[in-house]
Amino acid sequence: MSHNNQQLIDAANKAILEQQTRRHFFRECVTGMGAMAMGSLLGGCNWLGSKDQSGLATINTNPLMAQAPHFAPKAKSVIYLHMAGAPSQLELFDYKPDLQKLDGQDCPQSLLEGKKFAFIRGVPKMMGPQANFKQRGQSGAWISDHLPHLATVADELAFLKAVQTDQFNHGPAQLLMHTGSARLGRPSIGAWATYGLGSENSNLPGFVVLTSGGKFPDAGKSVWGSGFLPSVYQGVQCRSEGDPVLFIKDPAGMNRDLRKASIDAINEANRQTYEEFKDPETVARISQYEMAYRMQIAVPDVMNINDEPQSIHEMYGTQPGKSCFANNVLLARKLVEKGVRFVQLFDWGWDSHGTDENLAIDYGFVNKCRSMDKPVTALLLDLKQRGLLDETLVVWGGEFGRTPMQENRDGKKMPFKGRDHHTEAFTIWMAGGGIQKGVSFGETDEIGYSAISGKVDAYDIQATILNQLGFDHEKLVYPFQGRSFRLTDVHGRVINEIVA
Amino acid sequence: MFLFAFSDFIGRFHPLLVHLPIGILLFTIVLQWLSTKEKWAALQSVIPLGYLLGAASAIVSCITGYLLGSAGEYDETVLNLHQWMGILTAFTAIAGYLFSHNQQNLKYIAFSILVLVSITGHLGGTLTHGEGYLTKAFSGAGADSVATKKALTNAQDALVYADVIEPILKEKCYSCHAASKQKGGLRLDNPDWVLKGGKNGAVLKPGNALGSELYHRVILDPIEEKHMPPKGRPQVSEKERILLEWWIAEGGDFKKQCKQLEQSPAIKQALSSLEQQQAKLDTDLPKEEVPEAPMTSINLLRSKGVTILPIAQNSHYLSANFVNLTQLEAVVLDALTSLKQQLLWLKMPKMQMAGADWKKLSALTNLRKLDLSYSNLDQESIASLSALKQLVYLNLVGTKINGTAMMSLKDLPALRELYLSGTKITSADFEALKKALVKTTIDTGGYQVATLATDTTKVMKR
Repeated sequence: MSHNNQQLIDAANKAILEQQTRRHFFRECVTGMGAMAMGSLLGGCNWLGSKDQSGLATINTNPLMAQAPHFAPKAKSVIYLHMAGAPSQLELFDYKPDLQKLDGQDCPQSLLEGKKFAFIRGVPKMMGPQANFKQRGQSGAWISDHLPHLATVADELAFLKAVQTDQFNHGPAQLLMHTGSARLGRPSIGAWATYGLGSENSNLPGFVVLTSGGKFPDAGKSVWGSGFLPSVYQGVQCRSEGDPVLFIKDPAGMNRDLRKASIDAINEANRQTYEEFKDPETVARISQYEMAYRMQIAVPDVMNINDEPQSIHEMYGTQPGKSCFANNVLLARKLVEKGVRFVQLFDWGWDSHGTDENLAIDYGFVNKCRSMDKPVTALLLDLKQRGLLDETLVVWGGEFGRTPMQENRDGKKMPFKGRDHHTEAFTIWMAGGGIQKGVSFGETDEIGYSAISGKVDAYDIQATILNQLGFDHEKLVYPFQGRSFRLTDVHGRVINEIVA
Repeated sequence: MFLFAFSDFIGRFHPLLVHLPIGILLFTIVLQWLSTKEKWAALQSVIPLGYLLGAASAIVSCITGYLLGSAGEYDETVLNLHQWMGILTAFTAIAGYLFSHNQQNLKYIAFSILVLVSITGHLGGTLTHGEGYLTKAFSGAGADSVATKKALTNAQDALVYADVIEPILKEKCYSCHAASKQKGGLRLDNPDWVLKGGKNGAVLKPGNALGSELYHRVILDPIEEKHMPPKGRPQVSEKERILLEWWIAEGGDFKKQCKQLEQSPAIKQALSSLEQQQAKLDTDLPKEEVPEAPMTSINLLRSKGVTILPIAQNSHYLSANFVNLTQLEAVVLDALTSLKQQLLWLKMPKMQMAGADWKKLSALTNLRKLDLSYSNLDQESIASLSALKQLVYLNLVGTKINGTAMMSLKDLPALRELYLSGTKITSADFEALKKALVKTTIDTGGYQVATLATDTTKVMKR
């Protein structure tokens, strides 16, 4: 009898072992691995470093929780004003009187040999500066009459006069400027900053994008995308007209309590899914639902510029109710005040080829300058009087510069004056956020064609922005496809010459 | 000439070859010690070979070392000592080979070699890397950079050479051109040596920056062999370069003050940025360590919606932001004051509190930055802020503070930035404040951007 029992037990054990197939092993293994990966991911969020795990007893499901940078930051937020289309440095900041002497002459062959331009063909004519320049402030910075307001705050700015890029088309050049790669797929600088720092205000996203000028930047939404970072870090695009975020209002007939109940139910389901599969994207989804709920109140509040006093509206030159650059600039200030880390503004319309009046260097370009000058100046002064300029880094620039030659698309004379895309030298300025005041770094040659000293590129600018936020750009990394990626890839140097 | 060049070439192998006797002799000593154990007794037979190889490589090192030393770019006394210690090491190693049969003698020899190798190696290190290289970590890298980059209170009153140029030379040149080493026969550690120049003549031609080797070498393309500082060493920054050029072009004087020399806007900027360094040092994290903040207080604050986190990773100093809160419970304030050692940055915009509660902020004596903009801070409570002796930044924008209340803050010693836009401060108050707080930049705001005709019109083709 006992012998018989033993046989039965053996047979049962064997049956169990047979059921444990290869598939079984992989499944167990994968959840095991997933849990381990999650553990290390959350370890990264542990705000007191790995040695104190007790603070994490309740698992933090918020990937946007505020975090400390590598070292004490000089800037807490960044406002990046991108003039999409690339404004002409030769009409704004890079004064070249010698270029005026060459005005109307044929471009020397030495400047054309071996070079590629987006539209210039054959031998173009040189074109002198189409603006009057003066030295401004104590620092003696050259700023043209196109920017009468900005000229009054010249001593707050730090100019980079010899920025270079290797992309002469808008899309790739914008991607390079904002994601560190001319090709799609990398996270943008705002996404990296949010990944590193989280959001200081739990009711608002860490990274907000505002566009104006009637068109998106040529590179599309990828310039504020999250690439391979979890999607929770991508820029949240807000509108200055109508609802700030599409579908932010509850539909008619749905009240706040019902909304809360439905979000709770969805999150409960997501939480169970997370328990089972441990996919970090599920955590991102839970926190996005929760933030969306809080944003329904907080965003319309912060995005409403009507409550600002009249003096502020006059200062910025806003047009309440409309969608315009000035409104976006004022919003940027409000967002930063509320603890948003990275505000990215894109203003389209600076692509002054001379193909029509709006894109003419002596018409449309001047009007773009007028619409940008006052709000940007107001932003700097308003941040200053609120005591925020010290901790807010303002960056202004385009994706490349413009040629000292007049554009001759297809070798023909153009209806209006214009300049072609130029990669070898252009101007970007920074202000506030621990950057020196009233300095200029880098020089171009007598006609502003090439950089001769103090050359910097997109990676250097990215490294400097991260540095001001308290990050070593070489150490802010994200593991993806088997290696650690960083914004500046294998490049980048902090431009210490302009860091205070 | 060729012979000389050849001996120089051979001499340059010294830094490579010295590591052989060090390694071989130390390894032999380890083997010798092991061989006293029964299990390893068989090792005894290799000990003589170890000493022989050690001695041979030591002799080769001595010869190459002598050739390198005679090139004459090193501090004489240290070099001499290093040389004789090296020779003594070689002889002791030979002795080790000759007496390797005598266990007792060999013990003493091994011990002597250990001591000699350490001393010789250290002296060699001092020759190549400069005095105090080994102990730099203890003297504190921070202390070093503070000493060299002494912040100026007023750059215009500062001495051009002693306060501006010498710190640059000290940081970028002294490691090869000072007391312990004189590459190319050049010393730069006092004005007489600077004027004397190196073995190829003067390096400073007052009034002619490009003609002065001291400057010319700096602006050479970094790939040139003559570029200074050499590749791999900390380079002269752009700001330092223009200051150096300016100093030489303006006569290379050693006594004058900055304001006595003509200055371009760029130079003015570079000089005033030397002042800015001081302000920067003040807002940096304090050097002293503090214990970790109590977790209970932090968890309590976070559960109430306060954003509180370390200022930097691996630091116990904290920053707190009450961005979504305008009312506080007493427990929250108590938790906050329990962090008084760690809390450096505090933001409480729009906070509405009772006067007694505001006074509790005076406990936060370590605060560097305090933002109370648009809060209901009242005239009486502001006096309690005068206890915050470390305060560098104070933001009172949009509060009801008036001039009399503000004067109670005139004794804040570290205050550098004060924001008073939208307060009840009159222009007379402002003047009085400016006199009381000479080191503080006071911003009373009220900036306007006037609307010009061009702001609202467009240029059109007619």
